[in-house]
Amino acid sequence: MTTSEEVLTVRALNVCYGESKVLFDVDLSVRKNEVVACVGRNGAGKTTLLRSIAGFLKPLAGSITSEHSKLVGRKSYDIAKMGIKYIPQDKKVFSDLTVRENLELGSYATGDYNWARVTDYFPKLGVLMDRRAGNLSGGERQMLMIGRALLGSPKLLLIDEPTEGLAPSIVSHLRKVFGELSRNAALVIVEQNLPLVCAISDKVYAMKEGRIVAELAGRDSIKADVCERYL
Amino acid sequence: MNATFEGIVKAFRWWRGLLLAFALLAVSRIFLPLPFVIEVVIFSIYTMGCSFLLGRVGFISSGQPAYLAVGAYATAFYLFYFGTNPYVGILLGVLAGLAVSFVVGPLFVRLRSDYFALVNLALAVIVFYLMQKVLADITHGDNGLWFLTNLASTPVLDLTRPKDFFIFAFLAALAVWAFYKYLDDSVYGACCLATKINEDKVTFLGYSNFSIRLLAFVIANTTTALAGALYAVYLGFVSPEMSSPSRAADPVIVTILGGAGTLYGPIVGAFAYTGMKDVISKLVGNWELFIGFLLVLIMLAGEKGIWGTLQPRLEKLLVRRHATTPTADRPADT
Repeated sequence: MTTSEEVLTVRALNVCYGESKVLFDVDLSVRKNEVVACVGRNGAGKTTLLRSIAGFLKPLAGSITSEHSKLVGRKSYDIAKMGIKYIPQDKKVFSDLTVRENLELGSYATGDYNWARVTDYFPKLGVLMDRRAGNLSGGERQMLMIGRALLGSPKLLLIDEPTEGLAPSIVSHLRKVFGELSRNAALVIVEQNLPLVCAISDKVYAMKEGRIVAELAGRDSIKADVCERYL
Repeated sequence: MNATFEGIVKAFRWWRGLLLAFALLAVSRIFLPLPFVIEVVIFSIYTMGCSFLLGRVGFISSGQPAYLAVGAYATAFYLFYFGTNPYVGILLGVLAGLAVSFVVGPLFVRLRSDYFALVNLALAVIVFYLMQKVLADITHGDNGLWFLTNLASTPVLDLTRPKDFFIFAFLAALAVWAFYKYLDDSVYGACCLATKINEDKVTFLGYSNFSIRLLAFVIANTTTALAGALYAVYLGFVSPEMSSPSRAADPVIVTILGGAGTLYGPIVGAFAYTGMKDVISKLVGNWELFIGFLLVLIMLAGEKGIWGTLQPRLEKLLVRRHATTPTADRPADT
């Protein structure tokens, strides 16, 4: 049953790489302005889930819908145009382009040239506009990737391990940003940083060996010691 | 008033690199023979498409002779069979290049860079045999089509006169360079570079790699067809040799020699390559062998090519001057 409040509904999703099946009957739903986290060990299928939603992997079976529109079978750039933006884990920006050009790419695709919102969230980007993205630090790259994804006012952000390898001060900043972003968009975050997950999530899906093994909803249920069992 | 002045300064800054490069090219005409400079101008247009594909999109095209021949033969067919106006011939050559690129492009740009190179080479083989054997009745096979005497004189710039043809080719090259500079500075230019760096991430932003590559392919090969059309009018002759797959490496070599993806690399590369051929062939019997070794040495010395190596040094020099001279302009466009 899909409610009108849901921006993402995944039902009985099965995904395989060649002959190796990696997701088994995954069900997941995300409501408007909800922050949903996926936790689990490496190889649990979290990134595969995000990549399937973003259109990079074709599911074997199951459905993925967003506000009654089917996503399965759509090209990844069509899904991005629908306002579902995927921010991958590797923090690889377009290294030969400047920060400004990276943002221009986001603006041209969406028609949104309001960079003030991006620099409000990440003031540091404002002073790095003419720097080559390849010369940015890991944290600055993450800011750029999130900032670029914000252009066009997306309805859903799929963020893969955003804090991996970042300094605590930047993690703390991102935590605040994610909290503010959820006022305008829903977020699905794959994350191993349990304090962050507990602080910002409205719902947590725990994954193990390609399956959802637990769904925790509500601030009272989402606790680090509970989530830790699935890591 | 201030806005107008700022607009003029901005336009000057945009154009000055181009104007300087082409002024140097024009000055070289005083010291060098006309056929040599015309060859450099046309060859640099020929190389520009290849340089854009390789440097901006990451595609090595081994089939540039095919698109060169399409432009040249379309022009030649018109001037041999139908008309006498070389401008119309050149226009038809460009349109033929555009049409062929639109037909084969959707099939080719889906391929990975290595397969893209091979399939383009296969196209060059097909075009070569079409012109040499299959369509020999209308192309006159290896004898080629001669139409120099068919060309009618044209007003303002008479393309039947080499001096006027040089001015026309020079202006055409300037227009081509201005267009590519505009592309380089545009979001589309950034999209091309982005698809070369990481094609997956381009789609995250809502772009279709296919559309970006197809447009680049069409632009590059239409430029190559323009070079073919110019060759046809300049020589008044075309033959299948123009599309010979054995010449497929020429534009790639010149691209790498000049500096792939740089704006002025094709001019520098065309100048160096044509110059080397011209000078060394007069001194040495087996000049191809000598040039081959020389190219290897040049590539080993700086894999960014001549302009790719010089450009950052010149920029540093200009920036240093800029720092010491408060009124100096920004460094030259690259």
